[in-house]
Amino acid sequence: MNNTVLDAHNLKRVYDENTIPVYALNGVHLHIVRGEFTAIKGPSGSGKTTLLNMIGGLDEPTEGYVNINGTNITQLKGNKLINFRLNNIGFVFQSFNLIPVLTAKENIEFIMLLQKRPKAEREQRVKELLKEVGLADKAGKKPGELSGGQQQRVAVARALAPKPQFILADEPTANLDSVSAGNLLDMMAKLNREENMTFIFSTHDQRVIDRARRVITLEDGKIVNDTAPASLDHTLI
Amino acid sequence: MLLKISWRNIWRNKKRSIIIIAAVMTGLSAGIFLVAFYNGMIEQRVNTAIQSEISHLQVHHPGFTNDYDINFSLKNGAAILKQVQADPVVKATTGRVIIKGMIASAAGSSGITINAVIPEQEGLVTRLPGKLVSGNYFGAGKNNELLISQKLLNKLKLKLSNKAILTFQDKEGNITSAAFRIIGIYKTINTPYDETNVFVKIQDIDSLAGLNNQFNEIAILLHSNKTLKATRLKLSTAFPGITIKPWTEISPEIGLTVSVSEQMVFIFMGIILLALAFGIINTMMMAVLERTREIGMLLALGMNKIKIFKMILMETVLLVIAGCPGGIAFAFTAIAITKRTGISFKKFEEVYASFGYSDIVYPSLDRRQFGLIMLLVILTAIISALFPAWRTLRLKPAASIRK
Repeated sequence: MNNTVLDAHNLKRVYDENTIPVYALNGVHLHIVRGEFTAIKGPSGSGKTTLLNMIGGLDEPTEGYVNINGTNITQLKGNKLINFRLNNIGFVFQSFNLIPVLTAKENIEFIMLLQKRPKAEREQRVKELLKEVGLADKAGKKPGELSGGQQQRVAVARALAPKPQFILADEPTANLDSVSAGNLLDMMAKLNREENMTFIFSTHDQRVIDRARRVITLEDGKIVNDTAPASLDHTLI
Repeated sequence: MLLKISWRNIWRNKKRSIIIIAAVMTGLSAGIFLVAFYNGMIEQRVNTAIQSEISHLQVHHPGFTNDYDINFSLKNGAAILKQVQADPVVKATTGRVIIKGMIASAAGSSGITINAVIPEQEGLVTRLPGKLVSGNYFGAGKNNELLISQKLLNKLKLKLSNKAILTFQDKEGNITSAAFRIIGIYKTINTPYDETNVFVKIQDIDSLAGLNNQFNEIAILLHSNKTLKATRLKLSTAFPGITIKPWTEISPEIGLTVSVSEQMVFIFMGIILLALAFGIINTMMMAVLERTREIGMLLALGMNKIKIFKMILMETVLLVIAGCPGGIAFAFTAIAITKRTGISFKKFEEVYASFGYSDIVYPSLDRRQFGLIMLLVILTAIISALFPAWRTLRLKPAASIRK
């Protein structure tokens, strides 16, 4: 059984090609299988966010391609790409993660509305997801009424709502205190363990790196290390 | 959900939205009231012209209106008058003799139109007795009585009960003169009309001009303008060879005034809406620029650009619609009040009168105009939203999220 969810081949992203070329990514190969809990780390400007944008279909590579579950997303354009993202990739951002005018429940439901899922199914899934992220009692709260950690939990629930192939999380703990960050990571690890959901993080945060099964280190747009911390022995805490 | 998001987005920046809603309210109420004001002014001008001066229809000999020659009289005038009087759509009708002539006193003379009228019928058609500001209307048994305006009276340095000489050509082309006693002074809201028209009894002119009980004009006042075309057709079928003109042809300057005023009103309305459009564009551009990251996030999550475009469009239209009830209510209240009390321009009475307008304006608005204004406002909202919404189409999710 082919468990590959993501296959990125020779990804390059060059800025100012015609003057002094700057390589944000320079020949990155990446293979992710279902159920991975992967952290991409590296100093600022190493290309973490660019790589995440490429594999999330938010940016186009100058060279190379990204294959998600058998679809070469580099060839998708406009609404086709947007629809692919909608149905296959879950996003958790560092900030500005939720629609501020919608409640937690509506934020999660919104993504399924875009998928045109029936109402009954939407309501059932929202209930399940809120329970899963431990916010069943906060369904009617708007983002402004939730703590940073709670907002990120809603974001994770929303990312899970469309049943994606994997979740991309760009510095999800950056604005959280250690308790909230710990709780968020516990929840993600649980989802990874129990539902085999694939998580790919871009992070500086040692707390996330410590919990990852696989850690990819980027420097100057290249993967310089791709390994799991020995102490973890490829298993989740 | 899109509608819900759009509506809630409006209230994210309450102050800004309230300012735009207030601008919509002000613009809309000013626009509606302006249209109603002009409408009232024009309606009054038209109604005054129809009910006091020219009536809905006038019947003449085909040659008469070219040079007002007294010989072009209506040979079957009595028969026409009889048929018209029997028609239920006709409110009042009268026959007249219209002669171009001259009025003279010891102090001077002036070119005038002599309106020789049947007193009772004329009163019903043009409400002439109601326009008397001094003296009396035509009485029975007395000959050569004259109604004249204050303007003309002053010009000729005459007084009530004085005599004036009317001079005109009779049917044979001879110059005929007769002295007429001024028994009444009238005043309409149309100064140019007052300066050039005098009224006498038809029987006095009939013998002087040798007309043998013939009219050269029949004026027809209808209950409603709606029956004008049908009445005209009926008469022209029954009496071929006569000219029947509606008020728009008798007084084309009034028809022109109506159309020019309508255009003017919509030019003013256009200026108001243009100012409003810039306000909306400014506000929506700020809203879009402030939310670049959020819109980037929506694009990343899988909300397509058409939906985002629709969301911005909807926000703008909702913002405008939110201001409509207040604007409409304010305008309708102002119209309802001023329709009863009138808006007085007494200080400018002379100016208004010189153009044939009343110095008191009663605003009025019809459904068609109201519908048109609302349509224009909604169109303005949609057009104003296009640019900010178009900006969102150009956003790239990765770049927007970083902003």
